[in-house]
Amino acid sequence: MNGYTDQILVVDLTNKNVRTISTQKYADRFVGGRGIAVKLAYELMPGGVNPLKPENPLIFMTGPLTGTLAPSSGRIDVIAKSPETSLLGGANAGGFFGPELKYAGYDGIVIVGEAASPVYLDIFNDDVTIRDGQHLWGNGVFDTVQMLRKGDEDVQVACIGPAGEKLVNLSGIAFSMRNYAARGGLGAVMGSKKLKAIAVRGTKGLDIAKADGLIGLVGGMQDRIKMMPSYQEYPEWHYKLFDILESDSKSFFGNYEDAAWTERFGAYENAKRFIKQAEFRRETCFACPLRCWAYINIKGIGGSSVAACQGTLTSLANFSKVNDFGKLWEAYLLCQDFGLDVSGTSAVVAFAMDLYSRGMLDDLWMQEPKLVYGNGNALVNLIRKIATREGLGNILAQGVKQASETIGKGSEERAVYSKGGLELWLMEIRPFKGTALSCAVTDSGSQNRATYGLCEFYYKSMKKQAEMVAKNLVGTEEAAIPTKYEHKPKLVAMYENLHILADSLGACSIPFMPVGLELWGQAFAAATGIETTPKALMLAAERIRTLERLFNIREGLTRKDDTIAERMFNEPLKDGAWKGEALNREKFEQMKDAYYALRGWDTEGKPKQETLEKLGLE
Amino acid sequence: MQKMIFIDYDKCIGCKTCETVCSLSHEGRVNPAQARISVVRYERLGINVPMMCQKCQDPVCMAVCPIKAITLDPALGTQIDYSRCVGCKMCILSCPIGGISLDPINKKTIMCDLCEGEPQCAKLCPEQAIEYIEVSLLPYRKRRDGVEKLETFLKEERK
Repeated sequence: MNGYTDQILVVDLTNKNVRTISTQKYADRFVGGRGIAVKLAYELMPGGVNPLKPENPLIFMTGPLTGTLAPSSGRIDVIAKSPETSLLGGANAGGFFGPELKYAGYDGIVIVGEAASPVYLDIFNDDVTIRDGQHLWGNGVFDTVQMLRKGDEDVQVACIGPAGEKLVNLSGIAFSMRNYAARGGLGAVMGSKKLKAIAVRGTKGLDIAKADGLIGLVGGMQDRIKMMPSYQEYPEWHYKLFDILESDSKSFFGNYEDAAWTERFGAYENAKRFIKQAEFRRETCFACPLRCWAYINIKGIGGSSVAACQGTLTSLANFSKVNDFGKLWEAYLLCQDFGLDVSGTSAVVAFAMDLYSRGMLDDLWMQEPKLVYGNGNALVNLIRKIATREGLGNILAQGVKQASETIGKGSEERAVYSKGGLELWLMEIRPFKGTALSCAVTDSGSQNRATYGLCEFYYKSMKKQAEMVAKNLVGTEEAAIPTKYEHKPKLVAMYENLHILADSLGACSIPFMPVGLELWGQAFAAATGIETTPKALMLAAERIRTLERLFNIREGLTRKDDTIAERMFNEPLKDGAWKGEALNREKFEQMKDAYYALRGWDTEGKPKQETLEKLGLE
Repeated sequence: MQKMIFIDYDKCIGCKTCETVCSLSHEGRVNPAQARISVVRYERLGINVPMMCQKCQDPVCMAVCPIKAITLDPALGTQIDYSRCVGCKMCILSCPIGGISLDPINKKTIMCDLCEGEPQCAKLCPEQAIEYIEVSLLPYRKRRDGVEKLETFLKEERK
């Protein structure tokens, strides 16, 4: 095969053996990456398993473009049943692990069973060994990666930190020292298998059907990415993101009770001053011109790579209302090293601070520092406690929803989360009806896996572009207006399809959009030698989306589970640009009806027989 | 008129496009281990440095090659005749800058050949960190970069 290596590793940790299966039989219908991963999860797993038991396979899957020259083709998709939502758990990561895995000769890795004591998987081309990992257990991500590299920086590592070992629902899987499959508690699944890490080095390479054809396409694909309005600004986004969120009126502060935190501009200034003074080098992922990463080293605190992303520094700042950037940086480094999902963790911290300020944690947190908004020491302290499951941290480690159920006393009403209990990604949700719908119908509760970049996101700051995109996708500019319920179902379905294709082909969803399906289809054909069309790709996306749905239905999902936290319906925004906005239950349910119909699902959200036949499922 | 690859390390973002296109254009497949250029990385420090043959005027590799498989082309500098290379690795050992690689599949030495005057890495580097320039321009370019750095430094100082 070209583009694919045609081998998926199956590692049985219980019986300590390794074998391979062919990718070919899945490639035609499920493309790769997320598509094949969900197919394997559906096949290998019975319904209703405990996510932290050996029956839950952990699947890493690259796409046919991963590791090729195609821009942003460093991606790998990770799927298992999520311990946080008990639904499909999926996350996608960039970096360099996916390409290295393919150069070693594998399209993916399926981990089944569980080891009796800590192990790691060592892959060097055809040599695949399950090794004792006792010496790695307990180490942070940075040291674990360093120890496994043994001086060869081309060794790529997927690992968990102490948070994953302790089965924290907010733990992700780190890819070397920066990228994460962060969301949904996949780190805990890896921890439950006592699999500390996977180290991979590959020198076999990857066959490409039409080398010259692919080389010829890449310049043009890069040019389209560089035409994105944000391209020039990316290296400054590490501090500018605060202003960007503000200019799109997407900001909120604390636990969703405040859209106009008075000290915020001071906090933004602090961020800018710190970053400007820091050692700063632009970085990016494999084959990607975007450079949304940077290595930042702040004297006296430490250095690490960080993505200019709503889920990182902005998330920590806006949720905790801490304006001391030094503390925020310390908190970020801790999350990266402990192996925590920064976005979920910051949401949980805000939840705890909210409860504390209402006197609802009086019996659970009696010590210093006071868990109040703005207290940087409290932020750092709580992150440590969550990662090590100490005291209140042990409760919060479950994630916002489960923690609120443990705490009780009305804290359930303060909890804000997406479908299944996954914390929402940093952005106000109430005025953005498409985003709200997306959070409710998504596969995994993860909105940025479903519809990141939805044109309503940037309606306030780039109205013309947002309208143009909306018109192109669904035929009317109106669809771009955040507060409109109309046209949103179609917009959401379109974006979901594009995200699924990015995650399945092995490209990043951010540069995926500006390049356009036509060019991606051509790159796929050049890499694999298999001709395709945008229409055929969209059909594959439909198939994958409906299979994800079948997975969740098998886990007991019904229409009523397609929702988000009650507060987003009951508590209108008190201030800010969207004052008075909340979700309207009736219109929200109407959006679901329309969305289900577009997907060929019945009014209960179950795929219809004719849809399954059309897509060739079961 | 001799040209050379000019790498500005400060501009490199570590995307490895150069390695990827190098292997793809030489071998018809993607394999950074078979690339003539490689980005040396220190992840903990956020450092990425592309390394490759610098086309020495008086190449040590050519002098030590026991079977004269390395020759000097007036326009493209050192070139390896792969039909002669026996894989003794003397050139790799003697190269003062680590500019030569070992192809793990064919077990032979590989070195940048400047793609017959159209280096693919320079063409696709998204940051123009790799450029193909006239050798005579090099000192001028470096001097200009130096002045720019001084300017920035002085501006910071005056603040």
